Amino acid sequence: MRSPISWRPPATWHFFRSDDRLLLIVAGAIVGICSGVAAVALNQSLIAVLGYLRPYRAYWWAFVLPAIGAALSSLFLNKIMREGAGHGVPEVIYSVSRYGGLMRFRSSFSRLISSCLTIGSGGSAGPEAPIVMSGSAIGSNIARLLGLNDRQRVTLVGCGAAGAISAIFNAPIAGLIFAMEIILGEWAASNLIPIAIAAVAGTEISHLLQGKQIPFSHHKFNIGAVDIAACIGLAVFTALASIMLTRAIRTIHHQADGIQLPSWLKAAGGGCAVGLIGLYLPMVLGEGYHAIREMMEGRFTPGIGLVFLAVLAKIIATALTLGSGGSGGIFAPCLVIGSFAGLTYHRALVFLWPGVDWVQEGCFVLLGMAGLVSGVLQAPLTGIFLIVEITGGYDVILPLIIVSAISTTMCYYMEPASFYLKDLVEKGQLMRPGTDARVLADLEVHELLETDCIAVHTNMLLRDFVDIVKQSRRNLFPVEDHAGQFQGMIYMDDIRPYLFDPLMYDTVLVGQLMNPRVDTVSPDDDVVEVLERMDAEGLFNMPVVANHRFRGMISKSTLLDQYRKELMVQTYHLNR
Amino acid sequence: MYSQLFHIFRNTPLGRETFLQSLYFCKQIDATPVVYIPEFIKFLMYFDNDVVQVDLDNSYLTDPATAEEHARELMDSAHLKPNFFTPKNFTASTLPDIPTNFEFMCCPRSISDLSSKIGLGYIGPRVRRIVTSARFPVLITSPVYKPWKSIAVFFGGSANALNALKLGLRIARQTGMPLDIFTQAGNRSREDYEAVIRDHHLEDELERFQQRWIIFDSGKFETNLYAVPHDALVIMGAYGHGLIRDLIFGSKMEDIQSTVSNNLLIVGPNYTAGI
Repeated sequence: MRSPISWRPPATWHFFRSDDRLLLIVAGAIVGICSGVAAVALNQSLIAVLGYLRPYRAYWWAFVLPAIGAALSSLFLNKIMREGAGHGVPEVIYSVSRYGGLMRFRSSFSRLISSCLTIGSGGSAGPEAPIVMSGSAIGSNIARLLGLNDRQRVTLVGCGAAGAISAIFNAPIAGLIFAMEIILGEWAASNLIPIAIAAVAGTEISHLLQGKQIPFSHHKFNIGAVDIAACIGLAVFTALASIMLTRAIRTIHHQADGIQLPSWLKAAGGGCAVGLIGLYLPMVLGEGYHAIREMMEGRFTPGIGLVFLAVLAKIIATALTLGSGGSGGIFAPCLVIGSFAGLTYHRALVFLWPGVDWVQEGCFVLLGMAGLVSGVLQAPLTGIFLIVEITGGYDVILPLIIVSAISTTMCYYMEPASFYLKDLVEKGQLMRPGTDARVLADLEVHELLETDCIAVHTNMLLRDFVDIVKQSRRNLFPVEDHAGQFQGMIYMDDIRPYLFDPLMYDTVLVGQLMNPRVDTVSPDDDVVEVLERMDAEGLFNMPVVANHRFRGMISKSTLLDQYRKELMVQTYHLNR
Repeated sequence: MYSQLFHIFRNTPLGRETFLQSLYFCKQIDATPVVYIPEFIKFLMYFDNDVVQVDLDNSYLTDPATAEEHARELMDSAHLKPNFFTPKNFTASTLPDIPTNFEFMCCPRSISDLSSKIGLGYIGPRVRRIVTSARFPVLITSPVYKPWKSIAVFFGGSANALNALKLGLRIARQTGMPLDIFTQAGNRSREDYEAVIRDHHLEDELERFQQRWIIFDSGKFETNLYAVPHDALVIMGAYGHGLIRDLIFGSKMEDIQSTVSNNLLIVGPNYTAGI
């Protein structure tokens, strides 16, 4: 009987079955709007919390504020939301890479609250990673509601990330590129349009709710040839700072993991240390955009020594905040550290060569930001377009490209995986679509089973076995005992001399001919491991045995056949 | 056919009862138990179109030093090969991913709340989501170890109930146990139900294994459930009418599980049974 109240997901509607592009565009716009609203909500909450706490920062005890925020954030994530902590973006990439973008519903709001507590209280982190996670989770859950498949869901996850970045930075192109370059890791035409629509929707929602504003005001820079040449040095400097930041966060994270204390206490310890740094260098607290604005406008008065100290202090503060378990992202700290690095470098140039007509320091601040973002994320396009959009000017595009390209390349040599991908690469969990690892990971032993082998018994006479050979199309035979337990294999090549000797027919038993020492595979084994074993031992077939019973054969030819089919499925959309 | 039953081991007397029930099930249908001894209080299960986070209660982490030994003892006494599952993938450092490619999974009535709540009349939200999303049937055990001697299938003619019947036939064939079918007649006659069976070519199989087909023409459903043998494995479909209808009108499966204390094998809407 058909239910009077039923819900058929739109993905199953006849209208969308033949071509899903329209569905993805509409869904992408919805996801972009929702992510944009989430981004604006986080932004406004942060402004409110920072405004509320500002009067208290003048007190001597203000250093405990980041500790309280980080502890509350950790308690909220672990006790109330029961989410494993993390920066956000790696979790999104992991979900896209391994599980077709499936994400929990709670992830669509949990990080908004926890990061608001961490950053609002003064923790050195940014709101971008949490908002990317929220946007992506919104996309994933909307895809679930619409009954979309894995590929479509991944597109909507990208839409969520693009909408979030676009809304929070008012930068639709950066949002689009961030989603394609970092989250999805592929440039498929079928993804491009929905993600672009989501990015525009996110930006427009931000305009509607917060007004048209770019985070940092644009200034006209007169860039000369000498400035462009000097960019190379800046790129090296930002690359070194990027590596320092990446390693510092990971080191503190691993150290904190080894401490046998509740996670909220560790987060509070990190927050307290950040608060103490903030007493002397208040510019390292929070997301730090205020300091960037001052630097870009040339109003940042501290001398070169203090600015260089700020680079180191911000790196340590960020590592303490994120490494100890605070909730937040690395995007904003990259911008702040990059701007300090750019300013330090510019002032060093002016100090060393005062006679040269250098461009204004705001230009190097901007280039420093691009260098850090590109270096840490190893995503040069994201770095270039983000800086262009958030500063509103294309006149620095040439030095931006130089700094981003060199910084990314240098960082790649020193740390082959970016900050977001390093843990995933180390655990072997980064599997971009269409790659060998991903295709093999999607295959399972039971899918590759060949069950057309005829099992023979140990006490069977060679004469009877010859009859079976006549019927079989295979040249290998599993051997079982009377209880059906696997005993070994007979390979035709091994027994051919016996087959042509009729005298042996009634004297030799199958059990005497079989090879009892064959390597077997379990149905639970990883296909990658099975393939490695086949390669190592020069095998083309292996018997699959479970509970001492023969289940079938696995062969390289079937594996290759399935591999090809899986690859075609995974890369189908790239050709659309 | 090679099949595996996934069991989350709880190193407590209550957990032992559940585990004994899983082992008995495995023995009967020649399945391999895959035992997970949790190291963390939560884990994720990624299904085709849903991800379910299971938050265990602290009793699942009781005395980890003896957990494997206890589980091994019980498996040895059942003459089953110990097969422990260790998570390979982690969504976060304390959040392992559990595969969802098993053929069966054992759950207590609630997987995520304190054992005081585990009794009749309550089914946890996580178990509900697992049943809804899984391709495998979920074994919801009786509160204490209770070997089953027959199979009882609840059949109402829906696609899900048909899957339950196919699973019941498969288990009857594997175990040689008799199969009873129970139907609460609504506005349909016996002939209507038989037509459904015929349409799906199950009449021969049914003739071989079916012991009784009891159709309740009158009386309250809960009252009629007294006819179900206390030592039968009850197999039924669940949530086949969609979430909205189940939310409004309630789920028949949840009615049954809150009334009978038998072991239940629940077939969700994504399960595909093969004869």
